[in-house]
Amino acid sequence: MIEGIFVEGLIYGIMVLGVFITFRILDFPDLTVDGSFPLGAAVMAIMITNGHNLILAVVVAFAAGVAAGMVTATIHNKLRVPNLLAGILTMTMLWSINIRVLGNKPNLPLGRGVETILSVFTRWFDFVPREWSLLIFFFLLAMAIKVLLDLFFRTDLGLTLGAMGNNQQMVVTQGVNPETLKLIGVGLSNGLVAISGAFAAQYQGFADVNLGQGIIIAGLASVMIGEFILRSNRIGLLTLRAILGSIAFRGLMYLGRYYGYYINLTPNDLKLITGILIVISLVITQLRKQKRAQTELVSSAAATQGPSGSSGADTDAVNTRQPERGAPDQEDRP
Amino acid sequence: MKRLSIVLVLVACAAMAFATSTTEMTTRIGISKIVSHPALDAVQQGIIDELAELGYEGIDYDIQSAQGDVNAAASIAAKFRADRVDVAIGIATPTAQALVNAITDIPVVYTAVTDPVGAGIVPSLSGGGGNVTGYSDLTPVREQIELLAQFGAIRAVGHVYSSGEANAVVLAETAEQVCNELGIEFVAATVTNTSEVRAATQSIIDRVDVIYVSTDNTVVSALSSLTDVAMAAGVPVMSADPSSAETQDVIAAYGFDYYTMGLATGRLVAQILEGADPNTIGVQYLTDPNDLLLHINLDIADELGIDLPQSLIDEADVIIENGVIRQN
Repeated sequence: MIEGIFVEGLIYGIMVLGVFITFRILDFPDLTVDGSFPLGAAVMAIMITNGHNLILAVVVAFAAGVAAGMVTATIHNKLRVPNLLAGILTMTMLWSINIRVLGNKPNLPLGRGVETILSVFTRWFDFVPREWSLLIFFFLLAMAIKVLLDLFFRTDLGLTLGAMGNNQQMVVTQGVNPETLKLIGVGLSNGLVAISGAFAAQYQGFADVNLGQGIIIAGLASVMIGEFILRSNRIGLLTLRAILGSIAFRGLMYLGRYYGYYINLTPNDLKLITGILIVISLVITQLRKQKRAQTELVSSAAATQGPSGSSGADTDAVNTRQPERGAPDQEDRP
Repeated sequence: MKRLSIVLVLVACAAMAFATSTTEMTTRIGISKIVSHPALDAVQQGIIDELAELGYEGIDYDIQSAQGDVNAAASIAAKFRADRVDVAIGIATPTAQALVNAITDIPVVYTAVTDPVGAGIVPSLSGGGGNVTGYSDLTPVREQIELLAQFGAIRAVGHVYSSGEANAVVLAETAEQVCNELGIEFVAATVTNTSEVRAATQSIIDRVDVIYVSTDNTVVSALSSLTDVAMAAGVPVMSADPSSAETQDVIAAYGFDYYTMGLATGRLVAQILEGADPNTIGVQYLTDPNDLLLHINLDIADELGIDLPQSLIDEADVIIENGVIRQN
């Protein structure tokens, strides 16, 4: 079961990376993911069923996700629709599109005989039990995507995306068009979510138009739990904690399912637990922030008093004061 | 604070590790359903009752519901596989699909699946499913539509169904085919969730003489909003799910009793526990006419001014008259 939690955590971890990009880096709450996740699944499933090249299918799924994200960004940019609403619009439209992609059916099975990337990989590694070869595959896939993302966010474009999310006016004064940045950022995020959907469909053995329900909440919960686990400002650790948060979230859901009945919890209550988890993570993060701000205040107040204790020496005060200043903190936004 | 979080993490890991260790003493049966719904719950109860009836004592049931979340179905399947249950039962299509995909070496029994071959659960109707076998609840759509003709001169049949449920789509296509063969006009409206059912019904109610409701989880969940609209327009509603007929304003319900399906599934599970090979067992159907129930509601017929033929009333298994439910 541990490997089950890890495999699911890694598959959905790719989705969480996407949610992390829009929600944290771009500060753009994006509900399109509830539609782009099944879109990726549908595209992958229909292409597998029609016998296309598997790698090509993943690329097309990614492209479909990017397109969905770009639609959201365009609606937001050109029609001045708030970002939340733009995401909901695209998500709603994608329901019909997903059914069309699946061949006018809501569900497309990928039965046992069908060749998927996972079946090819497990065949290569058939000396290892299937669960472990899947774990290795998704670990490599998630790490590869994570490393590529880290490299991307070190480029000028990536840094500008982060800057825009932090302070949009700042990048505007630097002469960058935030609309283009949102197009790229939201597109990239949904492309990742679509890839996650494509692999989820192969893992579960079917693509269903209902796969997207609850994806955004799972993604947000995973991001919040990740922030709770690991504190950092560096992009390498930020993406890592998104994936760790996903694994931890799946683990917590499993615990809830397994031990729930001891405290009279039915599986019906798992969604309540998800919400409570998000709230707890938010509360603890807020408390930590307050505590940090308080210690900063105390230490800078102590420094301004100076070793002599007299307040007349202004130059002393200026010299000895060393306010704590780190890089813009990603955690400061609730 | 830091020490507390480390302790919490260690406790969580220990809990997870403990959760994976199993005891081999009792028979463990995992039941996975897509949503908690009267019909599906009736199947589950039937399975449990039948196994108790057949003398299986102290079975450890692990009952999981995916609450309509298709992704959760895969988690549940992985859990059953890790727990090494003796038999995994999947009630309804998405959960059955997830079980079949995750479990290859433990018997999997599906039930209340409308189209097992179309859903990729088994390769054919006659067997060869490896470790998978089960019951299909494909309702006799033709017989149901032919029953509609007894409510008077039917020119057009209205059908509201959920575009997000594979079973509903299959049944709608079958119903349309049957209507075309019988020369009846078929007017359909689709919904994506329960809150759309009222509006969808209103959009077709003026063009139809009767409404047919199939074993569509979404529409059956919202049946009262559909019957509200239909009763106000004087249009009778016939449902394929007898479990809801006693409390809803349907003039008739003709379909499987899901509790009976549960009993039959329980018998199949018992066979498997005794060592039967699922590979040799094809898709099972409830073919005994006694397993089909006909409910007639004479009060609704009176209210709508419809005269039901006496032969139909005699055939009925359950009749509702003057607010009293009686067996026939």
